[in-house]
Amino acid sequence: MTDATTRLGLGAQISVMFAIGGLFISVLLGGMTLLLTRQQLLDTREDAAAAMAVSNATRLSNQLTPDSSIEDLPTIVDSLTRIEGGQRIIRLADDWLLAPELDRADLPELLVARLADRHSGQMLARVRGEPRFVVGIPLAAFDADYYTISDLSEVERTLDDLRFVLLGTGAVTTILAALLGSWASRRTLRPLRRVREAAEAIAGGRLDTRLGAQADPDLDRLSDSFNEMAEALEGRIQRDARFASDVSHELRSPLTTLMAGVGVLESRRGELSERSQTALDLLVADLERFNRLVNDLLEISGFDAGMAALDLAEVDIARFLEATARGTGRVPLRLPDDSSSIVIVADKRRLARVMSNLLDNAERYGGGATAMALEHDESLRIIVEDEGAGVPVREREAIFERFSRGSAGGRRTDDGGTGLGLSLVVEDLRLHGGRVWVEDRPDGRPGARFVLELPLPREGS
Amino acid sequence: MSTRILTVEDDQRIRTAVRLALEEEGWDVEETASGEEALEAFTRTPADVVLIDIMLPGMDGFEVCRSIRRLGDVPIVMVTARSDSHDVVAGLEAGADDYLRKPFDPKELSARIRALLRRIRPDADRPTQIQVDQLEVLPEAGVVRYRGEDVHLTRTEFRLLLELATNPDRVLSREDLLERVWGYDYFGDGRLVDVHVRRLRMKIEPDPANPRYVVTVRGMGYKLQT
Repeated sequence: MTDATTRLGLGAQISVMFAIGGLFISVLLGGMTLLLTRQQLLDTREDAAAAMAVSNATRLSNQLTPDSSIEDLPTIVDSLTRIEGGQRIIRLADDWLLAPELDRADLPELLVARLADRHSGQMLARVRGEPRFVVGIPLAAFDADYYTISDLSEVERTLDDLRFVLLGTGAVTTILAALLGSWASRRTLRPLRRVREAAEAIAGGRLDTRLGAQADPDLDRLSDSFNEMAEALEGRIQRDARFASDVSHELRSPLTTLMAGVGVLESRRGELSERSQTALDLLVADLERFNRLVNDLLEISGFDAGMAALDLAEVDIARFLEATARGTGRVPLRLPDDSSSIVIVADKRRLARVMSNLLDNAERYGGGATAMALEHDESLRIIVEDEGAGVPVREREAIFERFSRGSAGGRRTDDGGTGLGLSLVVEDLRLHGGRVWVEDRPDGRPGARFVLELPLPREGS
Repeated sequence: MSTRILTVEDDQRIRTAVRLALEEEGWDVEETASGEEALEAFTRTPADVVLIDIMLPGMDGFEVCRSIRRLGDVPIVMVTARSDSHDVVAGLEAGADDYLRKPFDPKELSARIRALLRRIRPDADRPTQIQVDQLEVLPEAGVVRYRGEDVHLTRTEFRLLLELATNPDRVLSREDLLERVWGYDYFGDGRLVDVHVRRLRMKIEPDPANPRYVVTVRGMGYKLQT
């Protein structure tokens, strides 16, 4: 396949092919019609002219006497049968009886030469710009030639008209063929479009998308295979997600025992030796981290299995942020004057986790959040800033991926984070129809500025 | 006499560890491994708080919860392992007062139990009798009457009604109620309030689907309408 056809869509290719086919058939049919008609018309005219010429030549020959001179000819000629549009030229010895509009020089050389050899002849020739049929007959008993010149321009005109009509029908046929092609391609490609839409839906996460039954048995096989593939894919993805979910789930029971047991040890910390206290502190710290990891994994696998659902309730965003700020103790919060009226419908638990993950992230990699703010116009934006090193531009997408902690995170492997916090932020916001990104601080000072964007409900809805 | 806590948990290690943690608080703990065992123990000696794991072999946690609820208004804490919201709401609707998700911090468990055991603070500003239409609340006696007849409320339902009745016609947000009734901070689960309001309406409203007393104020919370 050449580059040009690969660039053309299948639909366009089918249309073009139909158009070429239509054009080819019209040219073939038109050409043949023209050729046959022309032949037919010419043959009829030629036969008539030739027959007439022979009969006239015979009659002329009969009426001539050896003494006849050129002056006698017009009388004889007048008695001869005339053909519409036909003219005659007669040579008698060295004299010529010419037609009113024609000269002897108008006779084709070839024919004159042939008659000089005493052979009769006929030919098509262009005389004075007009197509004509010239018949030449030598009069055997005399030194004389008889020529008739019939006008064929009428035939040419008829053929011209026919050519014009055929050209018109050819063009119409080609256009109709192209239209038919495009209709046929749309019809043929409709199932393909459905397959494409279904594939896009699956890629977009709607794993339960399936194709309906097709009218055509061939296409039915295609849609069956497609559905089998989608089924297998869905099953596999869900198995993977369920596995992660089951593993995290099974970890909950031992974790409960561990936390209760460690809790008892903590409350009896005073009874422990110094070495045991150090060991207990290690246990407590990593148990906490383990717990977070299991919880994050459970959440992530919930997203992967497509089972994450929102527990929606009305959330007064200003009160929510005030409570968040109170929880952190020292991060100043900037609220716009009219923020008390903003109520969004959201999952408070998920939003709270988003905030705690961002504040945690600032704590671990940015030296702690230094400001929180709320902005709103068409959408709602919650901003968390820190005064750390900031996030280099090339890492601004990567830090939201699972277990990716950026270069700052990579250097400090012992940061106590789970590596899932920011990817959970992304998922939680996506569930809410929002998004998150990181940028430079607008005041130009070093540090990162995380922006959470949430859609605001339309007024009156 | 010290506080008695009855626990139902089929995992022996969790059961023991939780008992040790609760005993650290100075409470008496009775462990049971199944719903049937728990009902028998509760019938023999009623407890002050019951802690029920939802995933139990045989009789499940919801059923245990409903059975104990029929026997009295003892505070019940549900322990759920699943993260989906269905278990939480089903547990609350079965009669639980609060819930915890596994794995939980033992300090959080103790805090929940203490909040449920809290006595209603005597409040000098609170009237000794609150009357709204045909509904009558006697805070000191812990009694609610509708059309002169006693209505049986659990302790949490009574607290919820009392908070609303003490501030008639004032809207209290879910967060306000979570703090005053359950002792949660702002981030408590609003479904606790919603399900308890639903349960309360079943008991005091002539038509629970179109509440006359405890009405929802969209975008804000609940209020007791006079």
